[in-house]
Amino acid sequence: MHNLEFDFKGESVSAEVEKSQTAFRVKSGEKEFVFEPNGENQYYVNVNGTKYLAAVVSHKGKYFIDIDSMLFELSDPQADAVVGGSGGQTGEKDKIFAPMPGKIVKLLVAVGDEIKEKQAMVIVEAMKMENQVNSLANGKVKAIHFGEGDQVDTENPIIELELDEE
Amino acid sequence: MSKKIQKILIANRSEIAVRVINACQAMGIKSVALYSDADKNSKHKMIADEAVYIGEAAPQKSYLDIEKIISAAKETNADAIHPGYGFLAENPQLAIRCAEENIIFIGPSADAINLLGNKVESRIKMEDAGIPLIPGMKKSETDLDIYKKAADEAGYPVMVKAAAGGGGKGMRVVHKAKDLKDAVSAAKREAKNAFNNDSVYLEKYIVNPRHIEFQILADTHGNTIHLFERECSIQRRHQKIIEETPSVAMTDELRIRMGADAVRVAQAAGYVNAGTVEFLLDESGHYYFLEMNTRIQVEHPITEMVTSTDLVIEQIRIAQGESIEHLKNIQQSGHAIECRIYAEDGENNFMPSIGEILHYKEPSGPGIRVDSGVQKGTEVTIDYDPIMAKLIVHAPSREIAISKMILALHQFKILGVKTSKKYMVDILSHPEFLKGNTFTDFIEKYMSEREDFSENFKELVAASAAVCYANAVHGNSHAHTQETAPSPWHLLGAIQIGDSIHA
Repeated sequence: MHNLEFDFKGESVSAEVEKSQTAFRVKSGEKEFVFEPNGENQYYVNVNGTKYLAAVVSHKGKYFIDIDSMLFELSDPQADAVVGGSGGQTGEKDKIFAPMPGKIVKLLVAVGDEIKEKQAMVIVEAMKMENQVNSLANGKVKAIHFGEGDQVDTENPIIELELDEE
Repeated sequence: MSKKIQKILIANRSEIAVRVINACQAMGIKSVALYSDADKNSKHKMIADEAVYIGEAAPQKSYLDIEKIISAAKETNADAIHPGYGFLAENPQLAIRCAEENIIFIGPSADAINLLGNKVESRIKMEDAGIPLIPGMKKSETDLDIYKKAADEAGYPVMVKAAAGGGGKGMRVVHKAKDLKDAVSAAKREAKNAFNNDSVYLEKYIVNPRHIEFQILADTHGNTIHLFERECSIQRRHQKIIEETPSVAMTDELRIRMGADAVRVAQAAGYVNAGTVEFLLDESGHYYFLEMNTRIQVEHPITEMVTSTDLVIEQIRIAQGESIEHLKNIQQSGHAIECRIYAEDGENNFMPSIGEILHYKEPSGPGIRVDSGVQKGTEVTIDYDPIMAKLIVHAPSREIAISKMILALHQFKILGVKTSKKYMVDILSHPEFLKGNTFTDFIEKYMSEREDFSENFKELVAASAAVCYANAVHGNSHAHTQETAPSPWHLLGAIQIGDSIHA
């Protein structure tokens, strides 16, 4: 029997798992599931009469999950630290990072601009696709560290914001 | 030119390289793969008979370097080159260099590639051949009367477009003659602001267009045939994501007319090998030639499914001088759909997703086909187009094909990178898709506001992670016993429907 606690989009969800002879029984919140193995890393789960096929692996402190084409990633509560370059995902709302290494195609803001949450800030090209990076909060542009045409990674912020006080 | 090909070098990578190598193997032809620094552990490198290192990951330094490719072919004694799609497939220079080195280029002549690659020249040529084009002006004018005359000839509604255009700027749809003058001035102002160029022209506005294309095969004996249509209206930013055949908009009569025109396009261009003629089809059954693609298309498998052909094998046979006479009475049977599986996050503006594929399991069953360039352990990098695989289903009816596709998407498990599987499931289960209302604005119209039900699954998601944890802690002895139980489809042998080869 294992009692685990996961962070699902900021909400804590518990799961109590027990292995039986042929399956795994899990209690999570008010719900109970039976996971029947279907080959490596895959399980059939019956939820109120609907059969779902779930695939799940863990890698570098993260669980990667596919439930009938819906994709999820959860942090491993046992892992010491979460790996990842994107500051946006680790809560640093005052820094704008590239989602992946690439080239800045267009800067859409200038120092001093007032920024609204979800406003487009910069377009980064990677894998022949242009990706728009949006602000995660309201604020004002404090600094821009790169120019159009520059190569960027996921570790160094492209733009820094001064956040509005909540 | 009747010469049996002994060895083919594939000037491409990933899924299409794998696809071509499979065709070579089926024909007993040796295959040579190319690989860059980024593809050292790739599937296409692994399955080919030989593999030649071609340079750095950047395409210009490897897969686009014609001279390196030619030397690789000479070094390995390959007597033919297959370009796949993308990269050099539509670059006449590769065809020219092949001819100079006495290597067979598996594709059309450099002249045909040149002509069809030039939008202006090919339109003039096709207009002369009597192929319908979108009516309108060919260039910008200063005199408003010329716009009026062109609009009257094309028939309203018309679209005023910026010559330097893009992104909808400087575009105006005009429904009535009295509004034309204002629309032209407004479009000119907008174009001036956006592109610093106020040139605008006008053409017929196509109401509710569908993207319909015809697969062509032409041999060196003067035979040119079509293998029916594909509808590729489901596009996101001009990128096709779901294709199907037959098209729900097609009638027998229309198919005969469009097919005949597609054949005439190929003949007018002096085309040999496999190609695709693209049309826009409007609500009232009028169609207009867009362009001809001079390569095998990403979506070719759906045609193979409904016609029981292998288009890559036919390309190779045509290249070695064989006739396509045997395909003259080809029939269309059932319904096929393809979904492109890209390493892109369908839930986050199709952001490219990179990383190692940690878990990979393909769906299987009658009428289910996967053309894939990846496997467990493949590293998806930022260097190339993010296509990983194509999932194709074939069924007796459209309705069954759709539900089979949804099931197959659920069973196609790729973990480690994001995909747009859920987005495609949502398209396929949308009532308007089911009704066949598949126009080119489908994504814009019906997919911009999607509901997110993921919250309902939080317990199941946490439970899945917990099972993974427990399975690792207990060792997966138990899972392994399950794994050895094969799926019933595997017991039937390796051949799937749709893999059948029409010789």
